[in-house]
Amino acid sequence: MSIHPGTAAKHKAPEDQTAASAAKVRRRSPTRVNPALYLFPLPAVAVVAFFLVMPTLQAFQYAITDWNGFSAAFNYVGLDNFIRAFTKDSLFTNALTNNLKFVLLVVIAQTLFSLILALLLTKNSRGSILLRALFFFPTILSSVSVAFIWKFIYDPNFGLANSVLRTVGVDGGAYLGNDAQALYWVAVTQVWFHSGQMMVVYIAGLQAIPRELYEAAEMDGANKWQQFKSITWPFVAPATSIVVAYTTVQSFKAFDLILGIAGNPPKSSLDILSTRIYSTFANSEFGYAAAQSIIFMAMIALVTWLQRRLLRLTPKGD
Amino acid sequence: MSQISRRQAMAILGALGFGATAAACAGPGGSTSPAGASGPAAPSTGAVTGKVSFAHWRGEDKAVFDELIKRFAAKHDGVEVAQDISTSNDYNAQALQKLRGGSIGDAFATFRGAQFKNFSEAGIYTDLKDSKAVANYQKGLLSAGQSGNNQLGLPYQVVFPMPMANVDLFDKAGAEIAPKNWDAFLAMCEKLASAGVIPISWPGGDVGNGGQLFNCMIANNAPVDDMCAQIEQGKLKCTDDWFIKMLNQYKDLKPFVQPNATGTAVEPAQNLFSQGKAAMLATGSYHIAAVRGLGAKFPIDLVFPNTTSDGKGKYEGAYNATFILGVNSASKNQAAAAAWIDFLSEPENAGYYANQTAQHVSVDKVEYTNPDLKRLSPWLQKKTALAARFQFNNLDVRNAVEASATAVISGTSPEQAAAAAQKIVDERL
Repeated sequence: MSIHPGTAAKHKAPEDQTAASAAKVRRRSPTRVNPALYLFPLPAVAVVAFFLVMPTLQAFQYAITDWNGFSAAFNYVGLDNFIRAFTKDSLFTNALTNNLKFVLLVVIAQTLFSLILALLLTKNSRGSILLRALFFFPTILSSVSVAFIWKFIYDPNFGLANSVLRTVGVDGGAYLGNDAQALYWVAVTQVWFHSGQMMVVYIAGLQAIPRELYEAAEMDGANKWQQFKSITWPFVAPATSIVVAYTTVQSFKAFDLILGIAGNPPKSSLDILSTRIYSTFANSEFGYAAAQSIIFMAMIALVTWLQRRLLRLTPKGD
Repeated sequence: MSQISRRQAMAILGALGFGATAAACAGPGGSTSPAGASGPAAPSTGAVTGKVSFAHWRGEDKAVFDELIKRFAAKHDGVEVAQDISTSNDYNAQALQKLRGGSIGDAFATFRGAQFKNFSEAGIYTDLKDSKAVANYQKGLLSAGQSGNNQLGLPYQVVFPMPMANVDLFDKAGAEIAPKNWDAFLAMCEKLASAGVIPISWPGGDVGNGGQLFNCMIANNAPVDDMCAQIEQGKLKCTDDWFIKMLNQYKDLKPFVQPNATGTAVEPAQNLFSQGKAAMLATGSYHIAAVRGLGAKFPIDLVFPNTTSDGKGKYEGAYNATFILGVNSASKNQAAAAAWIDFLSEPENAGYYANQTAQHVSVDKVEYTNPDLKRLSPWLQKKTALAARFQFNNLDVRNAVEASATAVISGTSPEQAAAAAQKIVDERL
């Protein structure tokens, strides 16, 4: 009688079965090690537990309470804080809308701008290196300094923007004082602040492209756009994925820039999730602020995951 | 050492993790209330020695307090006072957390309103009712530091959150500096505008300073004195006629504030005033030192935008009693902290503080030698309303209600602005 190869494995000789079981037992048998070895990761475990796990768990716990941040008395309110955020708090939904708008604006503008900069400045000429340094310079400034510099630029009375416009006979605007435009002006600042950093990521990607590919393409008569589409883009696509992910998280958390440029509390047109959470903490609504923080964390995770899923910019085979 | 299995090791680490989780799930706030915060009691007594941390937010007063500290130390051997100064925003957000441990802020100051309320509820204050200091204060100005029968804090400063006026520009324009009613106020603005100056420099881009004008605008419009508390409680509404009337008066001001006022931060607004480009700065007397620092040489007075139509308003101005001094109930050096507060409250020392910082104080029998304070001293005797915006205990409500005025200046209709503010109030009820 022939035995089906698939079933052959299942019907092993008793001695084979015994060997397999013994191997299983060996695999499962506890490895006896010196317990002292397990002491080595303990400091790291303790640090992570104390500074990461515990605060995160506490945030989850606070989020289901009405704790005001200092009183010993509090009540568990279940998911009320989460429900309140989405159904009974227009300040929160306004901040959420502003934040999503801000992220979208900055991600698109910053990705494009830093890619264009990188394409223009990728050659190692003296001028390019100087310009690279110039565009990278804002990155080394503190966000508070950047906020104050731009606050001055946007000031309608004494600011640089309106002073320049006045010299050509144009009346400038209120910039941050114009609720319809304020977020766009802060987005400009954010793009100015971080594009240099993203440019460096792109330059690294661009410099890894073998020159021979361009030479071959030129010999084949490919124009610049065709070269970009068929050579440059596939090589910088993974960098774009990094740039978009990083920019997304960065613009979600533009707390210091917004607070520095718009003041505390910022006007509702400039209120984003992180500033809203800060205001809620300052308003002695600790439990509610913790719930908002969890929503914020989930939001960043979701958006980052979504953009990773949607972009899929990693070349096949990698 | 005997050996353990990997499984046993994982179990131990798991137990540690579970322990951490359990620790994390301890009741919030349960273990962190300050020692001795069971209720306000008098500060403990004892020798005035050791280190006293004095927490406040007025960095601009540091040198003045340093001098007072020197004088205090000269009186008491072995005592040392260190200032712990934060910016006002940080102080608002973090002071309570910092002070509750007691290592910072043996003596401290609070803002009137929500912050004072939070500190009171947290039991941070001791009761200064029987202190030596309390007798030095003007009785009528102590209420902002009271809670029930306890005198938890001593409101040290008296500020006038009313527009400051460049008297020279008023004289030049022939404008009346004490308009009797709203029409007279607008006529005064018209005269100033005709004279080629901006009538009002208003920092609409700065929520805190831009909001001070609200104290004047609401004082005679509201039907009751606790109007902001009642708005917060839902008893009065921003959509009520009296509130809409006030917003319409803000609308009247629109031609008289600088262009793009809603985008103006406080420093540029101060500059417009200091440089003589604007006749009024709509913040308050607490900015006198700042505008003098910017080079303002002209005489300064205060103007009350009287919003009544017949000039028969209840109030002639607005004031605030703030920088509420207290002794921390969690402090281990309450005796020295209380002595420091007593020292600051002596008329001679309060006078030094006042004259050097250009801030009136609520301490009685203080001699004002600072020319600005002397000029403005008559306002201490006028019938002024206690600044209403500090009645709000919920900062979101306060910001939303005040933002309605900013929205009107930027072009939103009073009705729409009021409805938007009321929506936030309703959500917080």
